[in-house]
Amino acid sequence: MNPNLFSRRRMLQTASCGFGYFALSALCQSARAAATYGPKLSDRPSPFRARAKRIIFLCMSGGPAQMDTFDFKPQVGKKPHPGSVVKFYRHGESGLAISELMPETAKHADKLCLLNGMHADTGNHAQSFLQLHTGERLRPRPSMGSWVSYGLGTENQDLPGFISLNTSKPQVYASQFLPPVFQGTPIGINGEDMSQATIANIASDHLPASVKRRQLDLVQAMNFDHQSLRPEDPGLEAVIQSMELGFRMQMTAPGLLDISDEPASVLEAYRVGKQRTEGTCKQSDFGRQCLLARRLVEAGVRFIELNHGSWDQHKNHRRDLTANCEATDAPIAALLSDLEQRGLLEDTLVVWGGEFGRPGLTPGNGKDETGHNANGFTFWLAGGGVKGGHVHGATDETGARAVDGKVHFRDLHATMLHLLGLPPNDLTYRYAGRAHRLTGPEGGRVASEIFA
Amino acid sequence: MVAQPGRTRDAAGRNAPRGNVAGIGLEKLSYRGRRFPGFVKRFSFAVLVSLSGIYACATSAADETEARAFFEKKIRPVLVENCFECHAEGAKKIGGKLRLDTAEGLRKGGESGTPMVPGNPEESLLVQSLRWEFDLEMPPEKPLSPAVIQDFVTWIRMGAQDPRESTPAVSPPPDANTIAELAKTHWSFQPVANPEAPIVDDENWPRDPLDRFVLAGMEKAELAPTSDAPPGVLLRRLFFDLTGLPPTASQVADFAEEYERDGQEAVARWVDDLLASPQFGERWARHWLDVARYGESNGNDGLSRNPSFPHAWRYRDYVIDAFNRDVPYDRFLIEQVAGDLLPAENDAQRDRQLVATGFLALGAKPAKAMNNNFEMDVVDDQINVVGAGIMGLSVACARCHDHKHDPIPTRDYYALAGIFKSTETMWGVAANEALTAPATDLHVLKAAAKVPPPKGWKETVLVIESNTGKPKPPPKPKWEPGTPLAMGVRDKKETADCQINLKGESKQLGDKVPRGFLSACSLPGDAIKVNPKASGRRELAEWLTRPEHPLTARVMVNRIWLHLFGQAIVGTPDDFGVYGDRPTHPELLDHLATRFVAEGWSMKRLIRTIVLSRVYQLDSAADLRMVEADPGNVWLARHLRRRLEAESLRDSMLAASGQLDLAPAQGSLIRHRDILVNLAGNLHEPSRHRSVYLCMLRNSPPPSLSAFDLPDATTVLGKRSSTVLPTQSLYLINSPFAVEQSLAFAGDLLKTDPAREQDRARAEAAVRRALGREPQSGEAERGLAMIRAIEPELATKFSDVEECRLHAWAAFCQGLMATNEFRYVD
Repeated sequence: MNPNLFSRRRMLQTASCGFGYFALSALCQSARAAATYGPKLSDRPSPFRARAKRIIFLCMSGGPAQMDTFDFKPQVGKKPHPGSVVKFYRHGESGLAISELMPETAKHADKLCLLNGMHADTGNHAQSFLQLHTGERLRPRPSMGSWVSYGLGTENQDLPGFISLNTSKPQVYASQFLPPVFQGTPIGINGEDMSQATIANIASDHLPASVKRRQLDLVQAMNFDHQSLRPEDPGLEAVIQSMELGFRMQMTAPGLLDISDEPASVLEAYRVGKQRTEGTCKQSDFGRQCLLARRLVEAGVRFIELNHGSWDQHKNHRRDLTANCEATDAPIAALLSDLEQRGLLEDTLVVWGGEFGRPGLTPGNGKDETGHNANGFTFWLAGGGVKGGHVHGATDETGARAVDGKVHFRDLHATMLHLLGLPPNDLTYRYAGRAHRLTGPEGGRVASEIFA
Repeated sequence: MVAQPGRTRDAAGRNAPRGNVAGIGLEKLSYRGRRFPGFVKRFSFAVLVSLSGIYACATSAADETEARAFFEKKIRPVLVENCFECHAEGAKKIGGKLRLDTAEGLRKGGESGTPMVPGNPEESLLVQSLRWEFDLEMPPEKPLSPAVIQDFVTWIRMGAQDPRESTPAVSPPPDANTIAELAKTHWSFQPVANPEAPIVDDENWPRDPLDRFVLAGMEKAELAPTSDAPPGVLLRRLFFDLTGLPPTASQVADFAEEYERDGQEAVARWVDDLLASPQFGERWARHWLDVARYGESNGNDGLSRNPSFPHAWRYRDYVIDAFNRDVPYDRFLIEQVAGDLLPAENDAQRDRQLVATGFLALGAKPAKAMNNNFEMDVVDDQINVVGAGIMGLSVACARCHDHKHDPIPTRDYYALAGIFKSTETMWGVAANEALTAPATDLHVLKAAAKVPPPKGWKETVLVIESNTGKPKPPPKPKWEPGTPLAMGVRDKKETADCQINLKGESKQLGDKVPRGFLSACSLPGDAIKVNPKASGRRELAEWLTRPEHPLTARVMVNRIWLHLFGQAIVGTPDDFGVYGDRPTHPELLDHLATRFVAEGWSMKRLIRTIVLSRVYQLDSAADLRMVEADPGNVWLARHLRRRLEAESLRDSMLAASGQLDLAPAQGSLIRHRDILVNLAGNLHEPSRHRSVYLCMLRNSPPPSLSAFDLPDATTVLGKRSSTVLPTQSLYLINSPFAVEQSLAFAGDLLKTDPAREQDRARAEAAVRRALGREPQSGEAERGLAMIRAIEPELATKFSDVEECRLHAWAAFCQGLMATNEFRYVD
């Protein structure tokens, strides 16, 4: 064993906050990465200029129909062709065209940076959803939130760095081979009542807090005795520290998740508890999610994912799309306003989008059914150092494929990492004999055209 | 430089037959280089002070020949294996602009300067970087072994002769020759040897031949074993390793006495008892269930649907029973791969063999909807569980392309795929959700009891119409309620070879490949041919369990070793391929594999042999110098301190609280429920049975286990993580399970003579019960002090005096169960 490595380990283990000794094995296998991006949650400065400090990802699962939300496709020529089937209006100084189904979000048009040239590899939900989250569609890889906390840690030592609200399957918030401290913490599983959702075992009133503290003191006293006879094992120190962190979390997190201290006007603006279910539009209490996102951002969480679904309106396209828009429009608008008012928007990157888009309906032909389209769709970004009221990229006349300013998921990942001041293609972790990165073997291109 | 652990890739390079390695031509080299994209390395060559080199060194012709031979034998293979990923043609970005695949590149160097000063190794940048001196550490992931570095030193001292052409030949595509070459050279494809037990300096130390292999390693690394574990530590380890449960304090005391009197004979007696107990199978079945990616629901299909597998539990019971009856491992595998094709003497045997094939049907599937590849996704899961689970090979990569690093061409994948495509996989009705998976038949069992649902049983979870989200009436089941059914496989009526799916897409078809096995593992006198009229699973099972198969026995003895030591001989138990770890003790691995096969593939016998060895019985305590000399414990001079897995932790809490019900649980929570688990909310119910019997729903694991690295059961998992997370602390501090157990524990304690005068004895009893040892001085007092301090605080919450007292004691009991001592084996 290399002496440098050992001393580095020593240093990590004694330095700070209890995460110093996470996953020795991971550390050993990736000594080089660990030196830069150690398996610690402690806050780390970005190696490069950071335009954003944190990310809120509004995950619209199921594939939102871009042509009836943000990518206006009017009819051209004489022959009817697929395009937008709802009205679009221009908004703000920038005159961004936004669908009538998003009236509240439209008020923030000058904050939005539309990426109309998005494309991905597959129109298969499960695979594309994984690719959106991890960069890889076929096998389990660390989620982008895990990569971000691996790169930057968290500003708050009492909370995880990556939280996924109303989440679906663990694969989308898993750290996989990254040290487990970077795993996303789920709050609320898809379909559950979000108002009850919390971190597992975060609270229990079986004992008053003061008694729990005395109880923990006894446990730690016994742990110190136990450890003193086993001085050769630094892993025991990590367990002792994690008991303290758990204890602190139970003090911090429930208050954060309890929104009863918010004024009624805020609850109303976010539409907390206002559910809309219709066909594929499932209840998600998206308003509560947006409000929680703001509270978590304020508390120093690095990456927060929100989920609403499903936008997979195969049949009843118009009805279900309207419902999905209604369920999310006002909450998102409230979140953008709130972030702006609190001065958080400038260093918070808000990302909106789903695993792919949909082909357009042809007006007047009576059909109301859409499928999947991974060849061209829309994401939007706001805040965090990107241009507002800006359109980047375009699809062809029928919206079938991205033709200009194309951004693949790996490019989106690269852009997000870059905005956080992380080197997108050099943020790597060694596993199974080679270095891995979020942007995959191809690497991602940073869409620097959109930087403010 | 401290002794170097042997897990580096080069260790095997040196074990591989030299002739083959040295004989690799330039094509091979450039090919290898091309295949390791070097995109992601970050090098710091550039930051280093460049060293100017004198490049002249006269040598005689004879010396030159010798030096060249030395290069071919010792240097080139190491460069190929360790450096070409980033420093050769084909690397996405040449690290530090340094190329090591040409003589010129190695001579000129890159951004950081000239790599070598021929004749002067100490001044050579290359040697400094291999030694991981200063900032320059190559290869970046792990230093090479000192012996290999010494080879470089020798070679540079001899003048650094490099006979290679200045530019390599054009990279050829991977072809049969290169694959065959890899198969010939990679360690795990070589026949299992039966090495002689080495001679060791300390002849008195080894107890079993296996100890000699370990001691030889230690002696070579200039380490000495730590002391033998004290009896209390040893018994606790044996109990957890063999049964997953802790011993009681009185068992510890009895054992200590017998151990003092009879030594190893006493150990053997206790070991035999533990191996014969039904708890043995419950413990070891769980290890195999991790490999078999066992789950009782499909898991999220990608469309947020998670249908239950109401009959999967029969496979769980099959595995428990197989371990308890010590079914030979070869037979165990044959039953799981081809049990439906085996003759049976009676209905019970027939049932058992059919249930065993659940192994192939339990996988987590992606949704059928919009998925042209669904059928091949099922096949892929089967290839993966056989490949990684049984052979330790990630065959599944070859679905889309020739394996990037292992000698597994796409043709092999589709040869296996033909076998599984000719097989009908029976997962059941998938909760009547056709978009998730089409309904299939199931095996109907003959001897198993018919267990109808309880009277008045009504399903509360509705069947939902996919598109409208509205409930619909559940279809009438094909079988009468309570019919004993099992998941599994059987041959299709029409069997056929499979066409290659180009880039893994079912719609783009290439050549048809005859059904068969892995070409890299062709066995001597290989004559097993697939019967064209059958799927080929029978032959596959036979091939996998041939005594000469280089992987099957090695992989399993490595798994067993891992569970007994907390660390494996091959650190990647599911990957014995080129990118997997090399064995730390290759000869030991082969010695164990040979014995395993020779002793009739008996898992109990192998486990018994290992736990009776001297090395297993070492203490986990060791002095700091020893730890610093071998921090990863590669040489096994001490026993690794291990944390209890989720199941053992929960079972230990039940044992301490007195709530543990050792009777096997019957069936499963969901045995009568073909439902979408995701619509059901929390299905889990409190249970006092052992954890192995809890309902292992994918994506909805039992809350009393989920905090502690439970596998997600989507893929083969030979080695669980052992994480330390604050959510685990929260589980111990706040979970309903921990609170319930502490109340039961305290209630029990207060039942015996509740007088306050007995409190001291009571506190001592609590320590004994939780930690299986006598309390140390002051320990009981410290606990009592806490209880007395919190009682007044609790009085405001619990006005009833007895209730208040119960909760105060429960707080103490809960604390005991949250200590590190409780949570660790030793």
